[in-house]
Amino acid sequence: MTSLARGTFLKKAGALTIGFVLAGPALAARAADGTTPAGLYGPPDDRIDSWITIDPAGMVTLYSGCCEVGTGSTTGLLQIMAEELDVPIGRTRFEGPDTQRTVDQYVSSGSRTIELHSVPIRQAAAEARQALLHLAEQKLAVPAVGLMTRNGIVRVMADPVRQVSYGELIGGRQFNLTVTGKVKPKAISEYRVVGTSVARGDVPGKIFGKYTYVQDVKLPGMLHGRVVRPPAHGAHVVAIDETSVAHVPGFVKVVRQGDLVGVVCKREEQAIRAARELKVQWSPWSGLPAMDALYAAIRKVPEVKDAYPNYARGGVTANAGDVQNGLSKSAVRVAATYEAPYHHHGSIGPSCAVADVRNGGATVWSGTQTPYGLRDAAAKFLGLPLDKVRLIYVEASGCYGQNGADDVVIDALVLSRAAGKPVRVQWSRADENGWEALKAARVTDMSGGVDGTGNIAAWQGQTFGFSGYSRPEYHEPRHGGEPASLITAALAGWDKPGFDEGFGGAAANFDCAYGAVKNKHMQFTYLGAASHRDGPLRIRVGSMRGVGGPDNVFAVESFMDELAVAAKADPIDFRLRHQPSPRGVAVIKAVAAKAGWESRAAFSARSGGNVAKGRGIAYVGSEKSTNAAGVFEVAVDRQTGKVVLTRAVVAHDCGLIINPDGVKSQIEGGVLQAMSRALFEQVTFDRSRVTSLDWGSYPILTFPDLPDEIDVVLLNRPDLPPTGVGEPANTIVWAGIANAIYDAVGVRLRSLPFTPKVVLAALQQKR
Amino acid sequence: MTSFNLNGKPFHVEGVEPETPLLYVLRNDAALHGPRFGCGLGQCGACTVHRNGKAIRSCIVPVSAIAEGDHIVTLEGLGDTAHPHPLQEAFIAEQAAQCGYCINGMIMQSADLLARNHHPTTTQIKEELAHNLCRCGTHMRIVRAVARAAGSSS
Repeated sequence: MTSLARGTFLKKAGALTIGFVLAGPALAARAADGTTPAGLYGPPDDRIDSWITIDPAGMVTLYSGCCEVGTGSTTGLLQIMAEELDVPIGRTRFEGPDTQRTVDQYVSSGSRTIELHSVPIRQAAAEARQALLHLAEQKLAVPAVGLMTRNGIVRVMADPVRQVSYGELIGGRQFNLTVTGKVKPKAISEYRVVGTSVARGDVPGKIFGKYTYVQDVKLPGMLHGRVVRPPAHGAHVVAIDETSVAHVPGFVKVVRQGDLVGVVCKREEQAIRAARELKVQWSPWSGLPAMDALYAAIRKVPEVKDAYPNYARGGVTANAGDVQNGLSKSAVRVAATYEAPYHHHGSIGPSCAVADVRNGGATVWSGTQTPYGLRDAAAKFLGLPLDKVRLIYVEASGCYGQNGADDVVIDALVLSRAAGKPVRVQWSRADENGWEALKAARVTDMSGGVDGTGNIAAWQGQTFGFSGYSRPEYHEPRHGGEPASLITAALAGWDKPGFDEGFGGAAANFDCAYGAVKNKHMQFTYLGAASHRDGPLRIRVGSMRGVGGPDNVFAVESFMDELAVAAKADPIDFRLRHQPSPRGVAVIKAVAAKAGWESRAAFSARSGGNVAKGRGIAYVGSEKSTNAAGVFEVAVDRQTGKVVLTRAVVAHDCGLIINPDGVKSQIEGGVLQAMSRALFEQVTFDRSRVTSLDWGSYPILTFPDLPDEIDVVLLNRPDLPPTGVGEPANTIVWAGIANAIYDAVGVRLRSLPFTPKVVLAALQQKR
Repeated sequence: MTSFNLNGKPFHVEGVEPETPLLYVLRNDAALHGPRFGCGLGQCGACTVHRNGKAIRSCIVPVSAIAEGDHIVTLEGLGDTAHPHPLQEAFIAEQAAQCGYCINGMIMQSADLLARNHHPTTTQIKEELAHNLCRCGTHMRIVRAVARAAGSSS
């Protein structure tokens, strides 16, 4: 459903002209192509018609500002709408973000699509159903209390033959109603569609090659562009020899704006050749830290204390009791430092955008996660009023956070403006790896102790981290959306200040999740936003799945295990007696049962032979968020140092489950992606640039590396609102594997990745 | 002019440089979007198509290497909603796609395997797909889908 709708729409989009009609307060009729005269930030969010349309055949379209980024969350949104409206899921379709058609739903990230963005959709659908009942009252001459809705039809309860369909009641017309907030959504006990494993609407199109990704957008007269990036993060253009590409067939032009250099050709392969053959002289630059001195370099970055208002808390993420007193009473003290390197997002398809900058306006097709924020940034960059720039979201290859999807839009704008025609810019694999925002490297110090009874007497930590965000997203009320967030804008000479969004999600879960720990202090030392062009270290960072969660949980859940070892306790018993929240207790007990966990201290069941087996536990959660606990079983080859994850078991509580199979899919994906990052991945760089520019230099998980099984236990909580799914399971894997390796061979690994070389060195050191 | 059989029909394209990778001819001249650009280096498998039934990486095969009698089949030619390939049915049944960008390669590579080996073991499926990369972590479902298709075609 989704795929076909998108495909149809994109064919029309090619012929669209630019320029809007500015809106009055009410939503006027949607045009046949779904556009709607609206305000600068889309149609008003308090009108039913902004969200839902029903055609005469009863097909229901949900217009949402949420981006389908490959997680299936938009199928979940359709389930929620279908549930409230009482329409069959097969009679619904999804239309995603378009600044001329959909409500601004901010950024589709942080596992928040269902948790936050479904709320107004559910309410609009509930009120639409109420409105349909009122219309049916008149049509059937029966009061609403005597009517029922089911499958897109209103029936008279006492005489079910008397009925009228939604299509007959409203088809093709507008509700013309404000969302009051007064209609009560359905009781969860009445749910029929929510809570079932509805098949994803986007999957068939993807399986048959009929899905339209942003890489597939084609406009009449469209040219192909490629970029030529500096060979060093701080290098500048000295000279460009345009004659070096004049011989390339189909050559149109060389474009330069500051250090943003690109070529435009008629055909894609011609642009690739021209980008390869263009002779550009760059200034030398070699200001990156040495790779083996990275964590020392991070520690030397000055703390940023006044970057943004929330930092008034001083970066303290947990503070209670008296840590020094606790340490002094500890029978055993433990101190440990945990390190995690830069990671690539590793999108299989490098970033791509299409822009058409003409006649004082611009239209952009983009795989961004923040459509309106990027539209704002694009308009500011071009010096155009917001209403002259339209951004249409088209799904890209999975991004898992801030890859190059936003940045490539500036490339496309610059090249299209120079060429005077629509231009598609496709980044190469090396462009993506070299210039995307990386997951930040992180170093964390933990210390604490256990008392004579084996309980934690003190818990403290300090982590040194960069901003979790560098997208042009904005924070309510629409503060941000700046070109300065984009590396391409910086290359093009944009020098106006950006908006430092602070550490935000980079501090997620940097805490102590155990209520019995009374003396604790945790501090996030904020090092600012970093870019290839400026800021500390000159290695650009941005969000990646879980933002700081995986790094933080790696530190705190590895440390929890180290304390359990100090207390000679079973790691699960140890966690439970330190009182995680009741939801945490439930997932930890559930995962232990499913995994067949037997109580014993770590590294107390030593296996002989070359291959040692071990198991590790890790947990993340709180009373008001998703809770996930995982048991990870590994096999460690003592001769080669190779670690294999043989089995993963995850118990997961995300409140009310919308789509069980969708949740399972996200958990499986989170486990495998995080396992890949734990065992194989590390961005490499020399003193000038990132050097892990292809899959040979940045190996990731392959099929032969798969575990035998991933068991998922879902704990449905209909009494609790739905919370995030895409990230929590992903955050527990690094610590879980590290804890399992310790259990197998008695070696504590605190620096990722756990490659055979690293494991072997640690084993040899232990001997 | 370059000519070959594409998804069962004659296909001709003119004015294309001989070193042009087949991928761009398929995507931009034949408007087939099943094969996808991932790395341009033959490392990830997103661009996989069949030449005479064998999986090839269309991003590194120049169009001049395709002979006039060659049969090229893309994901679109493997099956459609009316006549799906057993693998396509199985991938939908297992919901074996997240972003879906790699799935073309997974299906095309597996179709080559199933043509040679009607009943592959799980290990053989994993070995066959060892050079097809997925980043969403859909691997377990992909393996299940291939095994399911093998069962249904037996």
